[in-house]
Amino acid sequence: MTDFLQQFFASAVMRESLQPAFLIALVTASMSVMIMAHRLSFLTVGVSHASLAGMGLALTLSLPLLPAASGFAVLIALLLALMPRSQGISEDAGTGILFAGSMALGIILVSLAPSARVDLFGLLFGNILTITPEEVSWLRLLGGIILAVLMLAARSWWSIAFDSVTAAASGLPVTPLRLLLYGIVGLTVILCVKLAGIVLTAGLMILPAACAWFWGRSLFGLWVMSVLFSLTGTLAGLLWSYAYDWPSGASVVLALCGLFIISWSLYGRVEWLKHHVLKQ
Amino acid sequence: MNAPVVQLSNIGLGSVGRPILENINLSLDTGHFLGIVGPNGAGKSTLLNIIAGLKAPDSGHIDLFGQCLRRYNRRALLKQVGFLNQLQERQPRLPMRVRDVVAMGLPDFANPIRWRRLPDEPVMDALAMTDMQHLADADFRQLSGGQRQRARIARALVSKPRLLLLDEPSAALDSARQDKLFQLLRQQCDLTGMSVIMVEHDIAAISSHVDSVACLNQRIHHHAMRGEQIPESIWKAMYGEHIRIMSHDSGCIGCGPGGTQHD
Repeated sequence: MTDFLQQFFASAVMRESLQPAFLIALVTASMSVMIMAHRLSFLTVGVSHASLAGMGLALTLSLPLLPAASGFAVLIALLLALMPRSQGISEDAGTGILFAGSMALGIILVSLAPSARVDLFGLLFGNILTITPEEVSWLRLLGGIILAVLMLAARSWWSIAFDSVTAAASGLPVTPLRLLLYGIVGLTVILCVKLAGIVLTAGLMILPAACAWFWGRSLFGLWVMSVLFSLTGTLAGLLWSYAYDWPSGASVVLALCGLFIISWSLYGRVEWLKHHVLKQ
Repeated sequence: MNAPVVQLSNIGLGSVGRPILENINLSLDTGHFLGIVGPNGAGKSTLLNIIAGLKAPDSGHIDLFGQCLRRYNRRALLKQVGFLNQLQERQPRLPMRVRDVVAMGLPDFANPIRWRRLPDEPVMDALAMTDMQHLADADFRQLSGGQRQRARIARALVSKPRLLLLDEPSAALDSARQDKLFQLLRQQCDLTGMSVIMVEHDIAAISSHVDSVACLNQRIHHHAMRGEQIPESIWKAMYGEHIRIMSHDSGCIGCGPGGTQHD
């Protein structure tokens, strides 16, 4: 076991990908609390799939991949925030439409691009092991922005998630704050696509907070716990990926799913004990 | 004399064919406890939302604390207003302790550049006012409906607002709790000079606590001070011909003498 861990940390590929993977885990876990609170799970699915169109566009127009995709994802997220209200379409239908449409556009654009330049499989399922230094610095920039905004706006977002009418009556600018939240969720999706890929991004953005939801009693406690769950899942996933040569993104998401099941069943057990043993 | 806490002039909402509120004029002094009654769909909640700055009226003018309510000063003015909106059907889903729910009512709660912890005393004081201090650390989601409502009322009170707007605060409370709540509000008005506008269904329950009652159905049909009777014609204009009024006692606002029985 120790040999294996030594090998793992000695491997150059893993050493280089561990730090960005942990950064992604920290940022997505922090945002996942807000995604759970505001019920934006389906939005993250929609935006992550829509980002394929952004990447396809970037490839066709020879723009830098991550910045172009980031801009596109924010645009889609804001569009989703604004669309349902003005046209009377429910939010999940709106997300479904944009999700399918931009995914179709993305597949066509990517398939038209010169194939040597595109790793469609990597885009879809993520591969942290192939991360380049430019991508690392872009991830750091994005992660910094997301965490800074989250620190400033977390309590306002939390208050709006609890009761948006009362939040508005206390003078909070609810609509601008909500748009900001959607935009930041869009950015987080892009950050996450490198690790988990378009298809699995939602896993990283929902599972950490979902694991913590059983145990948390306050915003801060939830945040700490979802970060811990996320870091544990990421490390476990990368170890698996290294040991058995599994795809890294899928391993991380699978590890998080395992943590969720453990957390869930443990909570059920604890509640059962509380009701049956402590009451006697 | 200070400027009135709330001054509404000619507030109107809705189109000419389908008015929601028409020509609302209302003035509220410091320490005044106003009850608004009226049938379902009379625009009671809408009027409260307009005063809380959540909805802009189509016509008319709102002054809060002597200042005109506008977009740029909305935030500063609303910091002095406590607001309890109507109890919603959907269940709360955020994991929060009761004390944190109440702390959300403090004006500094969402301040992005606050690093220090919020003080604990106002939160505990507000919880004590609604007899909820023993549940301060309980999970808000696991409270009963009445306990949740009391926590929400504590949240509205925690910032010690100069004006408190309550939309059916007695919902989910039993009659003993309702009476305690109205006594608490009466006491706060008398002791701290807080003013209250409260929307309620049941005029009989509130009439011995409030200073005045406004009867609202699209417009204010009558504004009765304590000890004043609301003529039967007003009730009929508001609720229709089928209503009958039952008298309680002479100190009760709104009840005409010699009425027969409730419909």
